[in-house]
Amino acid sequence: MTKKIIYQCIDAGSDYCPCYLAETNDCITCYHLQGKEFCDCSWRGVCIFQEYNWNGKRAKIARENFSAKIVDKKIIGDNLIIFKMAVTKTFARHLKQPGSYIFIRDINKPDYFHTPMSIMYADDVKGEIHVAIQIIGTKTKSLLSIEDEIMVRGPYWNGVLGIKGLKTLKNSNVLIIARGIALAPAVNILRYLVRNNNKITLIMDKGKFSETFIEDYIDESRILTIEADIISEKGKLIIKELIRNNHYDLCFSGGSDPQHDAIKRFLDQLSPHTKYVITNNKEICCGEGICGSCSMKVGDKTVKACKTQMNTSYIFEKGEE
Amino acid sequence: MTKVVIIGGGWAGCAAAVTAKKAGADVVIIERTDLLLGLGNVGGLMRNNGRYTAAEEMILLGAGDLINICDKVSKHVGVDFPGHKHASLYDVSKIEPMVRKHLLEMGIEIMLETRAVDVDINNNVIGGITLHDDTTIYGDVFIETTGSTGPMGNCLKYGNGCVMCILRCPTFGPRVSISMKAGIEDILAQRNDGSYGAFSGSCKLNKDSLSDEIVKELNEHGVVVLPVPVEDINEEKLSLKVCQQYSLKEYAENVILLDTGHAKLMTSFYPLGKLRKIKGLENARYEDPYAGGIGNSIRYLSIAPRHNTMKVKGIENLLCAGEKSGFFVGHTEAIATGCLAGHNSVRMNKGMKLLELPISIALGDIIAFANDKINTAEGLQRRYTFAGSIYFDRMKERNLYTIDKEILKKKIKRLDLLDIFDEKLV
Repeated sequence: MTKKIIYQCIDAGSDYCPCYLAETNDCITCYHLQGKEFCDCSWRGVCIFQEYNWNGKRAKIARENFSAKIVDKKIIGDNLIIFKMAVTKTFARHLKQPGSYIFIRDINKPDYFHTPMSIMYADDVKGEIHVAIQIIGTKTKSLLSIEDEIMVRGPYWNGVLGIKGLKTLKNSNVLIIARGIALAPAVNILRYLVRNNNKITLIMDKGKFSETFIEDYIDESRILTIEADIISEKGKLIIKELIRNNHYDLCFSGGSDPQHDAIKRFLDQLSPHTKYVITNNKEICCGEGICGSCSMKVGDKTVKACKTQMNTSYIFEKGEE
Repeated sequence: MTKVVIIGGGWAGCAAAVTAKKAGADVVIIERTDLLLGLGNVGGLMRNNGRYTAAEEMILLGAGDLINICDKVSKHVGVDFPGHKHASLYDVSKIEPMVRKHLLEMGIEIMLETRAVDVDINNNVIGGITLHDDTTIYGDVFIETTGSTGPMGNCLKYGNGCVMCILRCPTFGPRVSISMKAGIEDILAQRNDGSYGAFSGSCKLNKDSLSDEIVKELNEHGVVVLPVPVEDINEEKLSLKVCQQYSLKEYAENVILLDTGHAKLMTSFYPLGKLRKIKGLENARYEDPYAGGIGNSIRYLSIAPRHNTMKVKGIENLLCAGEKSGFFVGHTEAIATGCLAGHNSVRMNKGMKLLELPISIALGDIIAFANDKINTAEGLQRRYTFAGSIYFDRMKERNLYTIDKEILKKKIKRLDLLDIFDEKLV
């Protein structure tokens, strides 16, 4: 049986759609804006081609850089910073959705220092966002010295793959497994799932950090939390037993690709019906589908991971790259 | 048990469901919007000219269910208007619930707000239809009645943009060509200038926005003819529309309104400012499409190549009907092709010879004629309807047109087709 994989653009229908990809016939969604003659999209919303024409056959205004005030900076151990920054309430609201991320850099550094960072927490009442950063390379090391202001560009949304199942989930049973810096996006997802009255089990692994840094952000009365080293045999056993004994409607894995693969195997074996959502680990560099650094092969098509959503089973089925 | 899956719940899909069910199948209709009948929700015009003959033929063949419902909710019968005789006008605000009720009572499953997006196909046999939520509906035989209108990108590229018609693509998502997904190239209609597609042929005014005199006349006679101011007569526009039976001079020089619950305006679109210059229409507003002053939906961009049995060429278990099956105009034409496809779906599954209607009746002749013509360059620019233009001329020439029910009954009896669609095959 042949089956077409349905790709969706996370930005479709947003304030940023149509984007520059439309101008070059590379739109992820619209067949006309891929240079074809007739409609064949699966986008359910106001027509992107129509928006493009109304906009004078140009991309809508792209996301712009702005300087945000640092409200708080906390360094934990020798490899973790948490920044709290003041932004407009609208900007914070746009970042409340699971998988949101922004680009940040030192104001005094050139544009190519911009690095994508997941939103851990967004407060649209106060107008504040929190991000956690693992210090690894040149881009993140250059963030250490920032004190008062930081350059921000956003909002971006494609930080997790398989988001469709997550966004519509209500009154269901969820397993969240997050390790290291992926604890940060897990917080944003947790809070979203709690708002929708889901029952959550959270397995936290501090990874290479000195502590799990998210305690302040989770309501332990609503979430069953387990701290474990998920790489160890014991950790794997805990995950397997939880999956075996609970009827999970959805499982989220935050961490490396090998972690995603391992959990996928457990799910296939023990609970194949469970929807699977994962952090998007591709190397995102511009976030706009332009630079190509996040390209990945799904099925027979190369997609831009910074914008493209799909059912995650296709990623594992067909093998990536 | 034969499971028949029908994609598209318009007139053609509903008709196919009725005859497939009568022949003994388990039937499910997949419809992307929240209403059956599709464009039939803003239609209303039945039994004008040769459509009368076709309607009677369907009743005699045992597939009169939907025709009878239309007759029952007709606000006006025997209406004459320029170029047309003995029309019936069904009430668009009553028709859909009645058809839905009838189908449900027959035991037909209806999946509304369910959009087909792809097919599972292997060796030219369709296994299932993939839905928008990635689930699959499996079946033995499939009937595609997705029509050929829209979606928005096509209405923009080949028309004047989305004008918000009853199909409501932004809400329910775009139409998908199932035969195309199964690997069979669509056939496209052309206008006289060679460009693709054609505008839908009528728009509807809100009746309450018209003058009391017009409303009164519509209620009494079903039709009103109002002269267009000389400076606004635009004969060129006639070539844009699909309904060539209305491409008459009278339709350029006059505004013709029919009472279908709405006031059906027999033109593709008409600028509101100009419309309001006409006496009695000073306060007029559009009911469908909402921007009927600007444009109308674009159709005929997605026709499947088929046999005269309605089987799609190149796929073992796919039939088609309605606009998907040819450049047909109108509900009667959709119902006629739907009836045959539904009946043949059961024959197909049982390995029986598929029924081909004889060209000695209008139903069989139009199906064969449209199929012959579609293979010619000139044929891509023509539309086929019992109601007028080249096909009605042909009906008259070949002596197929009659409103005498007895003559038709004798003929169908002689052909041994009486109530054939009423017969249970499994």
